[in-house]
Amino acid sequence: MRWTHYPLTLTLLLLMLLCATPTAQARIKLVTLPLRERVEIQLEHEQVTLVEEERIIPLAAGVNEIDFSWNNTAINKESIQFRAVSHPEQIKVLSVSYPPNENALVWCVSSSGDLSAKVRISYIIGGLQKSFIYKALASHDEKTLTLRQYLRLHNFSNEEYGNSGVWLGFGDYFQKQIGLNETKELLSARFDEIPIVKSYTCDPAEFDYLDRGKNQLMVPMHYVIKNTKEAGLGRFPLQPGKVRIFQDDGSGGNAFIGEDWGPFTPLDDQMRLYLGVAKDVVVKRTIKKNEQHRLLGNLFNQEIILKYEIENFKDKPVTLDIREALPYVRNESIGSRDRAVQWRLDNEQMHTDWRDTDPTRVDADTVMFHVPLPARSGEGKAEKLEFEIHLWIENEW
Amino acid sequence: MNKYIIPTILFLSPILAYAQNVDLATLPGRDTVQLTIYNSEDLTLVRETRHITFKQGLNSLQFSWAGTLIDPTSIEVRFKSHTDQLELLDSTFPHDRREMVYWNIQSELDGVAEVEISYFTSGLTWSADYVVISDPDEKELRIDSFIRVYNNSGEEYEDAQVRLVVGTINLVEQIAQLAQMPMDRVVQLGQSLQEADQDEYRQLKGRAAKKAISAAEAPAPTSEMMDQQVYHRKEVIKQGLSEYFLYSIEGTETIRNGWSKRMRSFGADAVAFKVQYRYRPAEYGDQMVKMFLLRNDTESKLGTTPLPDGTVQVFRDNGRDGLSFLGQQYVNYVPIGDMIELNLGPDPQVIHQLVRQKSWRDDFWFHRTGAKVYYSPTQGHKIEINDTVVGWQDHEQWVERVRNYSGKEVNIEIRRAFDGQVEYVSGLDPTLYDFRTPQIVATVPAGQIKDLAYQINRAQGTLAKQNNVTLKKG
Repeated sequence: MRWTHYPLTLTLLLLMLLCATPTAQARIKLVTLPLRERVEIQLEHEQVTLVEEERIIPLAAGVNEIDFSWNNTAINKESIQFRAVSHPEQIKVLSVSYPPNENALVWCVSSSGDLSAKVRISYIIGGLQKSFIYKALASHDEKTLTLRQYLRLHNFSNEEYGNSGVWLGFGDYFQKQIGLNETKELLSARFDEIPIVKSYTCDPAEFDYLDRGKNQLMVPMHYVIKNTKEAGLGRFPLQPGKVRIFQDDGSGGNAFIGEDWGPFTPLDDQMRLYLGVAKDVVVKRTIKKNEQHRLLGNLFNQEIILKYEIENFKDKPVTLDIREALPYVRNESIGSRDRAVQWRLDNEQMHTDWRDTDPTRVDADTVMFHVPLPARSGEGKAEKLEFEIHLWIENEW
Repeated sequence: MNKYIIPTILFLSPILAYAQNVDLATLPGRDTVQLTIYNSEDLTLVRETRHITFKQGLNSLQFSWAGTLIDPTSIEVRFKSHTDQLELLDSTFPHDRREMVYWNIQSELDGVAEVEISYFTSGLTWSADYVVISDPDEKELRIDSFIRVYNNSGEEYEDAQVRLVVGTINLVEQIAQLAQMPMDRVVQLGQSLQEADQDEYRQLKGRAAKKAISAAEAPAPTSEMMDQQVYHRKEVIKQGLSEYFLYSIEGTETIRNGWSKRMRSFGADAVAFKVQYRYRPAEYGDQMVKMFLLRNDTESKLGTTPLPDGTVQVFRDNGRDGLSFLGQQYVNYVPIGDMIELNLGPDPQVIHQLVRQKSWRDDFWFHRTGAKVYYSPTQGHKIEINDTVVGWQDHEQWVERVRNYSGKEVNIEIRRAFDGQVEYVSGLDPTLYDFRTPQIVATVPAGQIKDLAYQINRAQGTLAKQNNVTLKKG
């Protein structure tokens, strides 16, 4: 028969010396139930939750049998450890026995005297999980952002942990009651006045077309923040989680403008938060020129001009990021190849304004331009800009 | 407590004894028992002693093992006293009774003799596991090794001397399979296996296994040994044995049927180790992982025994009077002197990026229809309009970028394999791990970013004459 007030039970058997002289298999016991003195919940590991609890147990001189059992909790039996915090020289774990078909184990512990010992029991438990959510409040002018990170601790372990220390491995340490089957949300970090860049990006390889028939590209918008100290962040890597994004409405309130999954963001990396598709920035992309120039034998270079017609119907200027993946361009112009793309921009032939676009070779296969777009005129008319990328794909056959 | 293994002395005419349905028997108790458990196979050698009273003349001894997993082909009886007065005449496995053997014994003794019965059983197994705790600064480790014995044999073994064999042996038949067959089927199975497998190598392995088991045998413990009660933490005595290691648990243990028992095998404090970050896609996937590296030698305060296969749980003292869980992995047998490599997975504080910065091609060679030679413009050959590219050089510039936010200098090692005929050009002092895998090592100071740059030149088409990597300083 077993005391089952808690699903997880530590009992000290008052029948001593059982370890040395085992009794029959019936496990009828007279027990004391030492309470938890301290609980620490370690959430540092990405997937695993470690619980450490301390209890004070009376030990008699000689060999003591300590029974640890659990019902309906997902404790990893192989992970359970017993350590004496007080009297470590006087207390030794002789062995651990695991009864059949039970979630239990029995420690045989020797003590050199009669004493009350503080012991620490640690184990990995399932169902006690963490997740993160973020609330981002952008300023009315979308120049800065306040980011709050919340820890959500989901206790579906079927065990109540009372007042427990909670450690994430970064940030602050918490002391909280962890109730049964409850989810607790804690503000784990707050960052103010983070500078943001609102980006408008078109990239047919990644974001595709909004209207293929009209060659109109999708133009997704993002808030881009950098996880750096200069930006007011940079204390620790940002854990993945849903980000709810609000904007100051300029009249004392705020408006929900969307949400996105924030990825794991190491220090110095960018977190890009997708806000939706821009309808007021219209970008049409066509291949204006696609011409083969034979070099030797069947070896040729391909001359390509990508033409963009861009209109900004917004009442303020924005910068459009135009990104092109060269394998995608090659596929469009000469068909699929299984070799790397050798390419170059044609500086001579590019439009005189192209240098203002700060062309960046992102990596071996990607180039990006930043095109400044003026606001629409006072009459509501948007200026149509034409932008061309003149490039060569070389040494193909 | 159930007892399933029963030797009985029958007071019947020995010849007719096993044809009778009504027996009169005495039940001599087990005095000592010794278990030698192998972890590479489901195999345990049991040696038990009993005191049996013999009468002068012919005696019949019945040994039965209902509900257990004993291999009937392995059962042996041996006289430990009065050896010159006792003689085993024959052993009989009755056709109508499974799990039973009769021994006919000729005795000149009229009194008590000590008898040893040994047999193989399955269902008794053991495993090892390890708990490793690093100090907060990751300079030293505390290592505790445990052994766990499982008893699912169907038999209670009380106060048994337990010995564990570390190492791999070969069995030509599985004990659990033999234990569940009547003797006539066992014989048939043995014949068919022998006919099916005349391979000399397997027979050699079989002989080696028997030799190993024989070597692991030791005298069964004495009653005096069994009477010793040990209340301190028991020692696990390790000794080498041919290709094997034998762990003997001090004193005796009782492991009840269905139970398992875990005991500390050894511990080591202040074990020096090295932290290394590795990028080895073939071993650890496309990620840089953090490793704890140490050696099973005396310098590391280990090295007294090979480390049997087992699960290692790794923690770090978090400096706040508690532990942080770092990882868990199964390690294979580690010989004395060999490395122990613990993979803790990716570290969010050390970021690795593989960036291809540029690709280009040159040194083209062409084929002309009908010609048996290739043409190259760089060799001054004239290329015609219908000539086709058949060989060239691919070039790629790569950077392995490591960002270290861990707060201390880190050591990194990168092994990346390349197919084809590749020239690896780098000023990083690379070495070749194998014919296609350059290896580079570097340190990245705390808070810094290091770009490890190299260029790959790969001969393609007809220019590719080899499939290997050569290193070039550059």
